[in-house]
Amino acid sequence: MLPLYGGSLPIGRYCIAALRQLGHLVEVFEAPDFYPGYRALQALKVGTDRLQYLENSYLQVVSQAVLAKVETFEPDLVLAQAQAPLSIQALKRLRRDGVPTAMWFVEDFRLFTYWKGFAPHYDFFAVIQQDGIFDELQAIGVQNVLYLPLAAHPEVHKPLELSAAEQRKFGSDVSFMGAGYANRRVAFRDLIRHDFKLWGTEWEGDSVLEPFVQMAGARVSSEDCVRIFNATKVNINLHSSIQAKDLVSGGDFINPRTFEVAACRAFQLVDRRSLMPEAFAQDELATFDSMAELQEKIVHYLSHPEEREAIARRGQARVLREHTYAARMQTLLDFIASRLEGWPRERASVQAAEGLPQELAQQIAGLLDRLALPADTSFADLVWAIRQQQGKLDELDTAVLFLDEWRKLYDKKSGQET
Amino acid sequence: MSACLVIQLARFGDLVQTKRLLLSLCAEPDCEVHLCLDESLAPLARLLYPQVHLHPVCAHGTALAKLPPSEQARVLLEKNVPAFRELASLDFKRVYNLNFSPLNYRLAALFEPERVRGHVWQNGQEVVGQWARLAMRWSAMRRIGLNVADFWAWHHPAPVPAAEVNPVAKGRGGGLGVVMAGRESRRSLPPKILAALVTGLLDMRGDDALVLLGSASEAQAARQLVRELPGRHARVLRNLCGSTNWAGLVEAVAGLDLVLSPDTGTMHLAAHLGVPVLGTFLSSAWCHETGPYGQGHLVLQANLECAPCLESQSCQSEVACLRPFDGPELVRYLSTREADHLPEGLTAFASDTDRLGQTFTAQAGPDAQADLRRHFRDFLCGHVGCGHVGAGQGEPSLVLHELAERLYMERDWLAQDPESSVNRMANILSHIDHDNDITAC
Repeated sequence: MLPLYGGSLPIGRYCIAALRQLGHLVEVFEAPDFYPGYRALQALKVGTDRLQYLENSYLQVVSQAVLAKVETFEPDLVLAQAQAPLSIQALKRLRRDGVPTAMWFVEDFRLFTYWKGFAPHYDFFAVIQQDGIFDELQAIGVQNVLYLPLAAHPEVHKPLELSAAEQRKFGSDVSFMGAGYANRRVAFRDLIRHDFKLWGTEWEGDSVLEPFVQMAGARVSSEDCVRIFNATKVNINLHSSIQAKDLVSGGDFINPRTFEVAACRAFQLVDRRSLMPEAFAQDELATFDSMAELQEKIVHYLSHPEEREAIARRGQARVLREHTYAARMQTLLDFIASRLEGWPRERASVQAAEGLPQELAQQIAGLLDRLALPADTSFADLVWAIRQQQGKLDELDTAVLFLDEWRKLYDKKSGQET
Repeated sequence: MSACLVIQLARFGDLVQTKRLLLSLCAEPDCEVHLCLDESLAPLARLLYPQVHLHPVCAHGTALAKLPPSEQARVLLEKNVPAFRELASLDFKRVYNLNFSPLNYRLAALFEPERVRGHVWQNGQEVVGQWARLAMRWSAMRRIGLNVADFWAWHHPAPVPAAEVNPVAKGRGGGLGVVMAGRESRRSLPPKILAALVTGLLDMRGDDALVLLGSASEAQAARQLVRELPGRHARVLRNLCGSTNWAGLVEAVAGLDLVLSPDTGTMHLAAHLGVPVLGTFLSSAWCHETGPYGQGHLVLQANLECAPCLESQSCQSEVACLRPFDGPELVRYLSTREADHLPEGLTAFASDTDRLGQTFTAQAGPDAQADLRRHFRDFLCGHVGCGHVGAGQGEPSLVLHELAERLYMERDWLAQDPESSVNRMANILSHIDHDNDITAC
């Protein structure tokens, strides 16, 4: 279940890729496709009570679409992220039908407080923080809580060979990629003395920083983010804060950028977080506690490229070893299996090519290969993977779908006869 | 030369009832007509539609269902992959996918969705076309009904006139044919009741030629019927149950004077050949939906309030619709054709055709829905653009308005659809030569 919109959308896509990488069959609910309709309601210029009614009704329809998809796909788990359009009514229905649900809440629980209304309706609730949230969740009856920090997706976040043009466009001594939160707007005024570039959105109205904003403050794609990380000598990573009093907020959770920059074997200076020590050793990540320390370290590391490279190399190794989305998904699934007896349920699985003569088995093997499925894929999973394809299908794909439905028809008939 | 494909994966009777659509496609200039069907019916289709290119696939198979899964997979894939490959290689300008079945939907995956009418596969989603959606709504009013052959035919913008589909029924001198049973057992007359009716018909006709028709699975019922018949008839009958191939069946039926049958494939075959049918329709059978096609047939339709029912649901009234067929009154009616003689619980419907397709008009017995049916047909004529059949009694605009509200849904009106009536009209106006949809007038 992808969110309707927002910054955690790429994280949802990384989770999908990671689960597939782990060999799971993943059906995606493309919630962003429904977002334009929701936005259109907000352009109606009608009374607020009417608008709220329409918005809620629309979200209920989207939730119904999720339920219909669940009914067809029969998943072992519905995994959602914050902003994923699952209504409480839909969550109750899934619980009644015995479909386990999990939420990976990749937001700051102190800022995004709506989890209090929804968390009890999820069977599993994974969070990126520890202090406070566990107790609060337990107080409202949520038992299955898991600390699951963010991560990187090495298929995307990786070292790149950049062309000279790309290096010119995306490179600088010092840069920051992210949104213009209050603490950053103040903090980065001290960085303009360097060869500095500012990437991302929400930097409007700051006369000091605006000249350094790249691409006119447009949203930067995930691919370009990786280019920026690779092209920059010192990537600044200052966790966001909505208050500008303490520029370095000293919070707990680690943002995704920390893992992503490290996975690129790029160098970053990141503000120290309370949960960092268990994720990275001191020599795997260069950190700062204050703006003065940041300034000092920028100067130091700009003149010591070999130190930058050594830290970046160790940081990348740690991420690849422990902090990938594949690792996170495996942790989540292991946690669910440890808490939910008999999960995932055994499926009567027949391998796709089982018992077929050689020529047909080879054709099926070719089909599995084309769909990037492992050789031991079950027939049922193959059918679903074929169904996920767009456009018209070829004769083998169609014949497999046809065979599947034929079996269902005749199984039903023989059931009726007995 | 263009090519069109019809996908008809259902049974014997459905294959025969696809005739009007196939003839309509054959009547298009420079159009090669293809038919995809279950392999078991290919020999029959060759006899019925010699001008049509056949694409047999393995879709049925009770025997196959008893094999281990890997054997099923081998047989289905070995047969269907080459057949599907051939279908995919042909550039069909239109595919008429007729059956509301998961098999049909999957088969449609071979084609561009915009070329498929009826039951469409769109990026993994099953989609029902507008005409079929409309049919699902009117099927909730089964007493009204539209003949399924016409429903399929009107997927085409301008089907051939209904009167030209089958020859006007006329006896061929070969005596009485009796079809032993349909696939749905409750629709068939038990041997004892059937024997009384057959005896009456033979005595009335004064001839002694009697042919029993059916598959091998009806042999037992045929033996029971023989035991129930008077010796004078039993001695001369020819029992062909289970002993004919498709060609033999066609030959046997083609020479008959009259075919007495429930709603069966053989009944539709008789209509196809222009052999008069005396239909016995009870239980779930409803002549306005699946009656014998063409002019000159008679259907004895059970008209109890619960009719037509669903064969899949158990009967709560001990198959009361069977009773009017049991007794000498029915034979008396068939002999005199006096309305007063028709047993209560039956309506005798004579077949005919109109602009829309097949009609049945009550000759005796009640038809409480006649007016509404006429309005319904007028409404459908307006929808498909074939003029008017003439409204029934009552305030036409009011009834048509009610029908429109019941049959047209928001989706038909609000969302783009290749089967919308406006596209249908456009196709008619352009003499079905142009495939381009129009989006606005």
